Order: sequence, then C-alpha cells, then structure tokens
Amino acid sequence: MRRNSPPAFACWLLESVIPVPYREAMLGDLIEEYTLRAESASPLAASRWFWSQAFRSVPSMVWSSLRSGDWLISMSTAMGVYIVMQIVEHAANLAISKLVAPQPTTEVLLAPVVFLTATSISGCIAARIRRGATTFLALMVMITVAVLIYLKACTIPVPWWYEFGFLTLGPLSVLLTPAVFGVPKPTC
Amino acid sequence: MIVRREIEERIGRNISIGAVYATLERLEAKGYVSSFAGEPTPERGGRAKRLFRLEAAGKRALQVSEQTIRNMSAGLKRRWERI
Repeated sequence: MRRNSPPAFACWLLESVIPVPYREAMLGDLIEEYTLRAESASPLAASRWFWSQAFRSVPSMVWSSLRSGDWLISMSTAMGVYIVMQIVEHAANLAISKLVAPQPTTEVLLAPVVFLTATSISGCIAARIRRGATTFLALMVMITVAVLIYLKACTIPVPWWYEFGFLTLGPLSVLLTPAVFGVPKPTC
Repeated sequence: MIVRREIEERIGRNISIGAVYATLERLEAKGYVSSFAGEPTPERGGRAKRLFRLEAAGKRALQVSEQTIRNMSAGLKRRWERI
C-alpha cells in the first residue's frame, strides 16, 4: 500500500461490484475523501472508514448491477471460464491417474493441487475478462463441490476436513488469487 | 461526495456512498436528474467527478413530495394537540 493510498483489496472489491457507469465517479469520491481523512485524522482511521464504506456499499451496488442487467454478462463470462476450467482440470486428472501414478493415495494427494491450481488460474482469467465474473465463478465452484460432496462422488474414503477444504479453499482461491496477484491491478 | 456529506449533515448519521449512487441512478432513470462527467483531478486518483443536475420533472416531483410531507405533518400536529 502506498502512502495515503486506500486499501488495495477494498478497491478491488468495489471495482468488482460497482456498475460500469458509476465506477469512475464513485471510486474517485471515495479516494478523494480517503485522502482528506488520512491528512486530517490518520491513515488508519481513513482506512477503517474506507473499509466500512466498501462493505456497506456492496449490497446496494450488487442490487444495482442486478437491476441494470450487468450480472447477465458477468454470469455468462463466469460460465465460459468455468467450462474451460472443468475441461482442463479433467484432462489434468486423467493424465495424472494414467501417467504419474494410478494409486488412489497419490490421486488423493494430487487432486487438491490440481483443483486449487485450476481455480486460481480461472479466477485470474475471469478477473481479467470481467471483474464481476469472479464472484459468480466462486459461487459455481462452491455449488459444484457441495453437490459432489452430497452425492459422495469421491469413491476413496477421505476425512471430512479434506472435503471441507475443497468447499472453502476452492471459492476463496477464485476470489483471492486475482486480488493478491493484482490481476488486473486495482487502479487506486 | 458533496451529496453524501450534505445528507449526512442533515440527518446526522453515516450513510454509504453505494446507497447514494444507487438512489441517484434510479432518479436519473426516471428523468428527475441528469448527470455528466467533470474533469479528472489528481486527488481523486485521476478519476472524473460525476455532476448531477435537477431536471424540471425532478423539481415538480420534489414540490409534490414536499407538499405531501407538509400535509402529513399538519395532520399529525392536529392529532398531537388533541391528545
């Protein structure tokens, strides 16, 4: 974080949910007030104010996006990325089980690595195409994993925390990887 | 930013910028206000301001709303006095 620059993750979160017509103006307003607060009070108090504005603005901005139809484009983008991700992940799993090691233990160990790599990369791709798409992609990953756990798709007996890891870390990697690696970089 | 600050000063509590923009967006869709982009400034991270202007339809709607609130308040005061 640069001196007197607002929290990057809060910026990224806002850029993901604010509809395009108001994105520039709204972020500009927040940055301007953040700078004033950081100079008159303290950068910490200004950051706290920025975070509170970001969290409190998310519901109204999501609702605004839904009303304007922005969500349809974001969801279509997420769906496209998700299909590609599934194909790549399936191919990787197939290659691992055939070439590397056909033993169930190795498969159990390598499956999370493949899964998290696929979700992280697809999160970055979705964020690059369209910011709002990452939220939908994370939701799709979460729903798929939940359905697979419910249907007991994994034939190898695994502990509960193993499945829980897929359920939580999958959507988180979709959301956090683009934010951490700055894809695309927050512009504030 | 000015709109949000003005509302905060008048009602005496914090409001989110998202709520302000969502409301302004609805008012613009109804033709009550119009907006245009201002000049980008460095203190805003090079982002342009969005300036809003009250339109004739908005002024009329505001007058009607204000009159309605006045009528409601007058009725309320009469009832209070009777208690």
